[in-house]
Amino acid sequence: MFTRILVANRGEIALRVIRTAREMGIETVAVYSRVDRRALHTRMAHIAVDLGGTLPRHTYLDAEKILAAARETGAEAIHPGYGFLSENADFARRVVEAGLAWIGPPPEAIEKMGDKITSRRVMQAAGVPVVPGLVDPVATAAEAQAEAEAVGYPIALKAAAGGGGKGIRVVRDPADMVGAFRTASGEAEAAFGDGRLYMERYLETARHVEVQVLFDAHGHGVHYFERECSIQRRHQKLIEECPSVVVTPELREEMGRVALAAGRAVNYEGAGTVEFLFSGGEFFFLEMNTRLQVEHPVTEMVTGRDLVREQLRVAAGEPLGYEQSDLRMSGHSIEVRLNAEDPVHGFVPSTGTIRNLRLPGGPWVRLDTALYRGMRVGLEYDPMLAKVIVWGADRDAAIARMVRALQELNVGGVKTGAPAALVVLEHERFKRGDFDTRFLEGLDLSAPHGGDDVVVAAAAAIHRHLLARRRALGSSAAMRRGWTARARAETSSWAPRPVDGGGAS
Amino acid sequence: MKYWITVNGRPHEVDLIERLGRIEVAVDGTALDVVYEEVDQLGQVALFVGGEAHAMSIEGDEAAVSATLDGYLYSVEIEDERERAAHAAERAAAGGGGVVKSVMPGVVIQVLVAEGEEVSAGQPLLILEAMKMQNEIGAVCDGVVTALHVAEGEPVDSGAALATIEPHEESGAD
Repeated sequence: MFTRILVANRGEIALRVIRTAREMGIETVAVYSRVDRRALHTRMAHIAVDLGGTLPRHTYLDAEKILAAARETGAEAIHPGYGFLSENADFARRVVEAGLAWIGPPPEAIEKMGDKITSRRVMQAAGVPVVPGLVDPVATAAEAQAEAEAVGYPIALKAAAGGGGKGIRVVRDPADMVGAFRTASGEAEAAFGDGRLYMERYLETARHVEVQVLFDAHGHGVHYFERECSIQRRHQKLIEECPSVVVTPELREEMGRVALAAGRAVNYEGAGTVEFLFSGGEFFFLEMNTRLQVEHPVTEMVTGRDLVREQLRVAAGEPLGYEQSDLRMSGHSIEVRLNAEDPVHGFVPSTGTIRNLRLPGGPWVRLDTALYRGMRVGLEYDPMLAKVIVWGADRDAAIARMVRALQELNVGGVKTGAPAALVVLEHERFKRGDFDTRFLEGLDLSAPHGGDDVVVAAAAAIHRHLLARRRALGSSAAMRRGWTARARAETSSWAPRPVDGGGAS
Repeated sequence: MKYWITVNGRPHEVDLIERLGRIEVAVDGTALDVVYEEVDQLGQVALFVGGEAHAMSIEGDEAAVSATLDGYLYSVEIEDERERAAHAAERAAAGGGGVVKSVMPGVVIQVLVAEGEEVSAGQPLLILEAMKMQNEIGAVCDGVVTALHVAEGEPVDSGAALATIEPHEESGAD
């Protein structure tokens, strides 16, 4: 096993990796940008290396600086977390060439799965079901319009080199194709340096069900069952759960078998997630995320396995040491992602400084976050502040526990998506398990929820009254202090002022 | 003291009197038994209304606060008599102006129209990138772009003016 690893990431995921490494007696090296000097991941690591700079491309995306940090600190392996360099095959290759262990899949597997077109071909060849669509990407809006008829509306436009919901648009009406192509292609160009888009049929009522897999370096792999992530908006997930209410034991076995076949087709090693669209009793391959997922904790809660620990073990060359039949599911787990955004106004980003913070606790409530009082939330990085994860003996218990946890929580200084998550959790259709990937977008969140107006109005009036009183007292106190300071200055600096030639009137 | 308090867009009137160090409150004419204790200077409040306990948090200034109660966020605006009159006068003076403002902080990626250009309601004016997502910002009405307040590559704050559109006379509803 490694004695020291470098974590090439920030925020909650860097902290997540550091925590498991510490538990395993492995030393950790954190890297940080200028704005993250005081961040939790920086403070919780054994060694912290200043990357100098603020922008992602000068810090967490700068392969050169990260490799240098690993060299200087004697780290033996690099864990990329998710986002940033985690699905960058060139970086993975350079890590391996530098004689370090890459805590992730082989670069070739990242490449094959990272390109939507290649992955689609490889999956079709491996007998994995895929959604109807074009095999080749389109580069212009005119081309897209011409090809659209063959695919059939509604159409999903996706970045050929994409992931993470960037560069994705759904087009229902041919008239919207040009505008959608322009913004999606622009996003793809900005995020991945490749504006080509892939077109496929958009399944109107589909659920997002994904399977967690893990392969060791000796050709042995297992799956850790499914997660359901259908509660999403613009392909950004809000609520995830394990297990899925629509997956029967037979379907689970079948999806697990197909997910493992998908991984084997690219000689996968390490942890990965095979995402499927589940529609009308069938499931179709969507993409494979060749890294740890944000929502991995729900799987951990239900299986009792630490996925980061498993990642580190297989990256160090250890065999898995157990079989599929050794894995069991127990109870139900739900995760809510807390992003800095305003759900009442179309989830626009929210920025500010976290002043006021009350975090939930109690039985079976887990908090994966790097949030702290005094933290500034800007636009430099991903808006995710925290993940609240709960476990319950069954789904109803887990939902009730999550509602309770979110009622305890408050994050002051920025707005979060927590109220939107509450609306979903308390919705009859969610409770029944009757929803698809468009459920969240169909909810009217602009109408404010929560009806304790009278209590809030009374509190706001008192708040204002106390603030005004404090300000009145404060200003007279400040005046006194100012007077004293001036008097001191005048009496202590009595040396004559130099004559400057006069002139000033 | 009388306050006009808007909670998530719904108006309420609050009468507040401080008598011998004790605050008495009536909301919409109904007196409430309220105990309000600040837990810290950051916004945590222990609030008891008619014996019911509320773990509440509240932050903001005299004019606007955000309150969190049982997980829900309430946007609150507070006005006293003088402010209420002043705001009403401001609103009357502003009329139906056509300044398109940014609803989020971000960076202008592309400007799609020029000053003097005729636009129709909903037509994309520019593309704003925030949190790695690109969003089209559309015209609010039919009219002429009389001013562009931003350039490509420029970062903007939430509420910043992006473009001014002079509405056509015939489409100008009030």
